[in-house]
Amino acid sequence: MIKNALAILAAFLALLAPAAAQTDPEWQKVVDAAKKEGKLVIYTATLGSAYHKTVFKAFEDKYGIRIELLEARASEVRERVRIEQAAGRFVGDIHHNGSTTTWLMMRDGNLQPHGGVPNVKNIVPPFEADATRIPAEVISYALLINRNMVKLADEPKSWKDILGPKWTGKILSDDYRALGGGAVFFVVMYDTFGKQFHEALAAQKPVFSRDIANSERRVARGEFPLYIPFSLQDYGQLKSLPIKPIVPQEGRPYVRFDLATLKNAPHPNAARVFMNFYLEVDQQLVFANAGYNPVVKGAIERVNEDLRPLLATKALGTTVPERQDAMLELAKKIYK
Amino acid sequence: MTTTVAANFPGRTAASLGRLVSGRGIGIAALIVILGFLSLYPMAMLFYGSLHSTPPGIAGEFNLDGYAALFTAENLTVMANTVGISLVKSVLSLALAILLAWIIARTDTPGRGALEVLITLPFFIPPILTATAWAMLGNAQVGTINLVWRWLTGSEAAIVDVFSYGGVVWHMMQYSTPFIFLFVVDAFRAMDPSLEESSRMSGATRWQTFWRITIALMLPVTTSAFILSFIRGMESFESAVFFGTPVGINVLTTQIYQSITQRAQPDYQSATALGFAAMALMFGLLIQQSRLLGGRSFTTVTGKGYSPNVMQLGWMRWLTFGICIAFFAVTVALPIGQLLLSSFFQFFGFYQLDMLTLDHYHNVWQNREFWRAFGNTMLLGVCGATATMALGGIVAYITTRTLWRGRRLIDILAWLPWMMPGMVLGIGFLWGFATLPHEIPIYGTLWALLLAYVALGTPVAVRVTSSAYQQIAKDIEECSRVHGAGWWQTLGRILVALAWPAFAVGWVLIFFGIMRELSASILLYAPGTEVLSVVMLKMWTGGKPEEVSVIGLLMLVLVLMFRWVQLRFVKKRISTL
Repeated sequence: MIKNALAILAAFLALLAPAAAQTDPEWQKVVDAAKKEGKLVIYTATLGSAYHKTVFKAFEDKYGIRIELLEARASEVRERVRIEQAAGRFVGDIHHNGSTTTWLMMRDGNLQPHGGVPNVKNIVPPFEADATRIPAEVISYALLINRNMVKLADEPKSWKDILGPKWTGKILSDDYRALGGGAVFFVVMYDTFGKQFHEALAAQKPVFSRDIANSERRVARGEFPLYIPFSLQDYGQLKSLPIKPIVPQEGRPYVRFDLATLKNAPHPNAARVFMNFYLEVDQQLVFANAGYNPVVKGAIERVNEDLRPLLATKALGTTVPERQDAMLELAKKIYK
Repeated sequence: MTTTVAANFPGRTAASLGRLVSGRGIGIAALIVILGFLSLYPMAMLFYGSLHSTPPGIAGEFNLDGYAALFTAENLTVMANTVGISLVKSVLSLALAILLAWIIARTDTPGRGALEVLITLPFFIPPILTATAWAMLGNAQVGTINLVWRWLTGSEAAIVDVFSYGGVVWHMMQYSTPFIFLFVVDAFRAMDPSLEESSRMSGATRWQTFWRITIALMLPVTTSAFILSFIRGMESFESAVFFGTPVGINVLTTQIYQSITQRAQPDYQSATALGFAAMALMFGLLIQQSRLLGGRSFTTVTGKGYSPNVMQLGWMRWLTFGICIAFFAVTVALPIGQLLLSSFFQFFGFYQLDMLTLDHYHNVWQNREFWRAFGNTMLLGVCGATATMALGGIVAYITTRTLWRGRRLIDILAWLPWMMPGMVLGIGFLWGFATLPHEIPIYGTLWALLLAYVALGTPVAVRVTSSAYQQIAKDIEECSRVHGAGWWQTLGRILVALAWPAFAVGWVLIFFGIMRELSASILLYAPGTEVLSVVMLKMWTGGKPEEVSVIGLLMLVLVLMFRWVQLRFVKKRISTL
């Protein structure tokens, strides 16, 4: 009873928090300064995501601050920031990228502390913000099967089920030897089941392809019955096809995207206001309804019914930047 | 002023200095500076990257680790794969392209005008689209071709599997065949037929004439096209990554891509070293070409008038017609038909009535970013292709028709960008332009893209125009000079006028090269200066391949328009020769 009351109180306070932040005179000064700056330059590795653009547009409408967007792949974003800063060109304000790349950029001194964002108090474990990085949204990985090719009884329940003989030569997969979803899957399976899982999976002769969007469609067309790891945020676009995402009983590997302020950002206040806005429940709900796991409380409960059971599953694990290169090398040895 | 300075120095030194400060000397120096900035400067940045443990701007140390890594068994296999695949596809493409060019330009095959446009279409389709189409047509499991085969024969086996060496070569050939064809067809057309007629009059058969006269005279243009095609093959990415990587076939570019984008810490040192290794290999090829052509004459356009006519093939013209149609059917109708069909369905490959839609066309029409990128690309395409052809025309003149000092350096500088894989050179441009003094407003503007495109297109412009110049007799030019025309007048009124068809082809090749260029564009664009290739990449990775195919089809319409105008123009010029 007391527990329930505390939970309700916590949820109530969480809902009040953004409003409180917005009425806080100190924060209002930041908002005013941001509006005066009038512009925000975002470097993002979410190439071509319509959901992110929805949130960016909502920010422009709410604050009247114009967003300029530079989209590229993770390593390209990083290299542009690095060479620009080395040449004394400080163009970007916000860096939005995977947690590994963000960690590397923080280590290399490409980022600066954000200066405090009220809505970080809404962030739910296992995610947490620090003085520089703010969790943005989370990509969760599942199995993808072709409904016409896999009978209900044959659907994998555990990640280990894909090691069975009926899947030999029938698995299409993102490459574990390259940075991306495949590498995340490799690390999490290694940490969960050990090296023998991968040795057995290698014996299944998975076919690797890095063209993720096309791989998912190849499964839908019946070229392969199974694809791993499937990013749940792609489900919304494909749900009318004969596919089904499955989160096995052990849980789902995930990778976090972070927001950070770039060193010497020309519009630091706009960057802070944007980060705060990004952590609002309404914005997180846009991502959750697209298949991303939200990082704040109060969003998962409101997500669409077809996605909620998938997103509410256990978070199995994620990559650790410090081990990334060693794990890629190990993957190369196992999957020759 | 020149005379005064020269008079102060004795003998040859004074004369050399006099030449140096003359108009020609200044012109040569300016050209070297421009080409140096466009090619040597980004290359120098890359060379630094290959010798330094970290990229520019980060503390590190100089070492040879990048080059030492070239000699691992993995990299040597990758090199062998790259050379082997590129060689096979270039040889096959060259043979096919020469046959098609000869059919179109030198025979009375019916419908040649339309066939010429149709044959070249594959070159202008974004490779990722044809790769998608072929993955649907030729995959071993559910590919349309195999399904039809199984249905017809009852066999369980697949007759086609595009995920193989053959698939990689086949997909590359769809680009290199029309590319070489575009290169050689106008040279075939501009050839004085009296040479072939003389051969026939002297008793040679059709085959002997084709082999000993036609092909022999086309040697500069065919070897140029072959080398360009071979080099492009070594730098090709899409075919290998689509059809090779899933079955363990790695090539130079997929290896570089892995070094740059697939590791937690991008390894620019290895990537740039691989790029320079490829460059050394390609230099060897160029030297071979120079030896092959050195000291021989390939003049086919002389001061004497001639009327271009064609060989009467009799009934065999229907055979040649069939060859062209077969090429068109396999390389254009099949994949484009698949794309066209798919563009009207919600998803690629799902042809159900309830999935019929015009949404993809509507979405592209409504996409403001697409139209902004389209505008930027058109501007860059027109300005870039024109500037590149102007620069290429001058460089080709100096390297092929003069004995001026510095011409070899100019030739090498103009070639350099072609010999470095695009994704590495893109980094060179990024490093080069970003580290320029801030007072030079290039980085982050359309200028950065324009300059990169000019650098990337110049080798094509030089090859196209120099091959055409080599066919023009020197006496025409001398005649012009004797009659008092200046250097610029002779270049414009004689050489450029006679080589117009080649200029038109070069312009189109460069224009559509700009439309497709991605490696440099993704690293150099800024908010507001997006180009079409970047927007297409965003759509593709954003899970909208159907909308990308709509853009690909729009590009095809553009190609048809351009080619129609170009061919009308070329024919008009030819008829006035």
